[in-house]
Amino acid sequence: MTTAPSVKRKMSVRTRRQALIGAAYIAPSFILMAIFNVVPIFLSAYFSFTKYNMASPPVWIGLDNYAKLFSNRVLSEALSNTVWYVLYTVPTQTVLSLLIAVFIAEHMKNRYGSFLRSVIFIPVIVSLIASATVWNIMYQPKGGIINQFLNFLGFESVNFLGKKANALPSVAAVAIWKNTGYYMVIYYAGVMNVPGDVREAAIVDGATPIQRFWHITLPILKPITYMIVTLGIIGSFQVFDLVYKMTGGGPGRSTYTVAYVIYTFAFQDKNYGYASAVAICLLIVILLIHLIQTLFFKEKDA
Amino acid sequence: MKKKHLSPWVIIGIVLVTLFAALCLLPLIYMVAVSFTDSETLYIKLKDLRPSLYNYWYAIVKRDFGTALKNSVITVVGSCLLVDAASAMAAYGFEKKPVPGKEALFQGYLATMMIPGQVVLIPMFVMINRAGLTNTYAALILPMVGAFGIFLMRQFMVAVPNELLEAAEIDGCGEMRRFLTIVIPLVQPALITLTIFTFNAAWNNFLWPLIINTRSEMRVLPVTMSTLASNSTTNYGMVMAGATLTFLFPFVLYIFLQKQFVEGIALGGVKG
Repeated sequence: MTTAPSVKRKMSVRTRRQALIGAAYIAPSFILMAIFNVVPIFLSAYFSFTKYNMASPPVWIGLDNYAKLFSNRVLSEALSNTVWYVLYTVPTQTVLSLLIAVFIAEHMKNRYGSFLRSVIFIPVIVSLIASATVWNIMYQPKGGIINQFLNFLGFESVNFLGKKANALPSVAAVAIWKNTGYYMVIYYAGVMNVPGDVREAAIVDGATPIQRFWHITLPILKPITYMIVTLGIIGSFQVFDLVYKMTGGGPGRSTYTVAYVIYTFAFQDKNYGYASAVAICLLIVILLIHLIQTLFFKEKDA
Repeated sequence: MKKKHLSPWVIIGIVLVTLFAALCLLPLIYMVAVSFTDSETLYIKLKDLRPSLYNYWYAIVKRDFGTALKNSVITVVGSCLLVDAASAMAAYGFEKKPVPGKEALFQGYLATMMIPGQVVLIPMFVMINRAGLTNTYAALILPMVGAFGIFLMRQFMVAVPNELLEAAEIDGCGEMRRFLTIVIPLVQPALITLTIFTFNAAWNNFLWPLIINTRSEMRVLPVTMSTLASNSTTNYGMVMAGATLTFLFPFVLYIFLQKQFVEGIALGGVKG
């Protein structure tokens, strides 16, 4: 701020007052976020080096939790399940939402198209627990509506949640059902931002719809795609509600995810230090994903 | 609709998108349909369907859904009020006041958005326990304030003209009055969007209420829903009535505020 020297002192009194008022406006959110977002990270890091069950004070045990974590299979299994879950959900929901958004924007710019957009968005507002409950009943091996339909078509019933090989993909299907509408809305807003003359020029040049999609729409939507993939990966990495309600981590440990492991270690086994070590691992993974995405972004922008 | 020649590919596309939309809706139609049957089997025939609210009555009166509904409403209203107020105030402070170091602090705020909820879960649980706040509404409401709301509000705060605030100040309009009567009405669309986001987050929140409010009279809808579904694996009608109740409030909100819902998400998404 540049002010004439004569009014500087007067301004600075005023500025200082304004700064104080500003600080007062920021204070409530600052206090709440410090307590619930920042302090817990340091506490989490601290707990991860301790043995802690809340009944007695934390006991410092150095790297024991991490050593235990990397020597048994629970974390690696959970990590592998979580990565598979990400691989099931993210590509499917991204491609589906992209295709639907582009198609509606290109060919269904009418009331029916906007009606379909509204309908596809509805699963987004259903809570994960309600979704899990409804799909649990639909997935029932005996009499569930999906198996009734399969039987009707002449297929054998499928044990969706009770068989190791099926459980994780079946949970992922619910996530895809719930998420596609959300990303479709973001893609749709992005497609609508594509300048009309760019498209018209391509049509005049004789580009086929598929060429237009590959060479014009997709490159323009690239930043949105990066964002949607990142949001999707981070969201899927933290999957908890669906697993808790649909499979409880089973059968066996086939749907143990990282978040579910944190929950069971902490709130069933009361092993808060050990669970915190898993939480810190999760934090590191998420930060790495962010870092990779940022580097990728920078490179593409340059 | 304009009469236009549609290529077969476009027609196939329209059919596929329609099918997907139907797929999105079917589980919810099924949910509502089962909630109106009194059979305990899943082989629902049309004759089992009856417009009886028995399942709803049973869930609300006999299975604590009434209590859960009350708790959810109190939590959601409290969360929306707190988040709106704290976010609007912070955004105003960040955008319009010469606070030293505010941009660095704002970057710090944004960085908290990267922290997964499960990382802060255990320390929050310990702190709330130590503070004796388990089984209270405060435990559910206070942690709802986050960087997203402040980020969203600040984007709208930019558009509030400084001249207007200065003119009001010269006219002798006090600090509080300027904020409440000039700033707030100007950022109202953003407040509506933020309210919708907060409503959904608070209404659907599960893991935190599950661990922090364990007494049955302090449970919120998703938690009651979850225990209900696992304790009564065969009474599908009642379970689905519970799921329908949980879904009903956000759905009504969505019907009335569809534009704000969708714009809010597109806006939140564009932040990149």
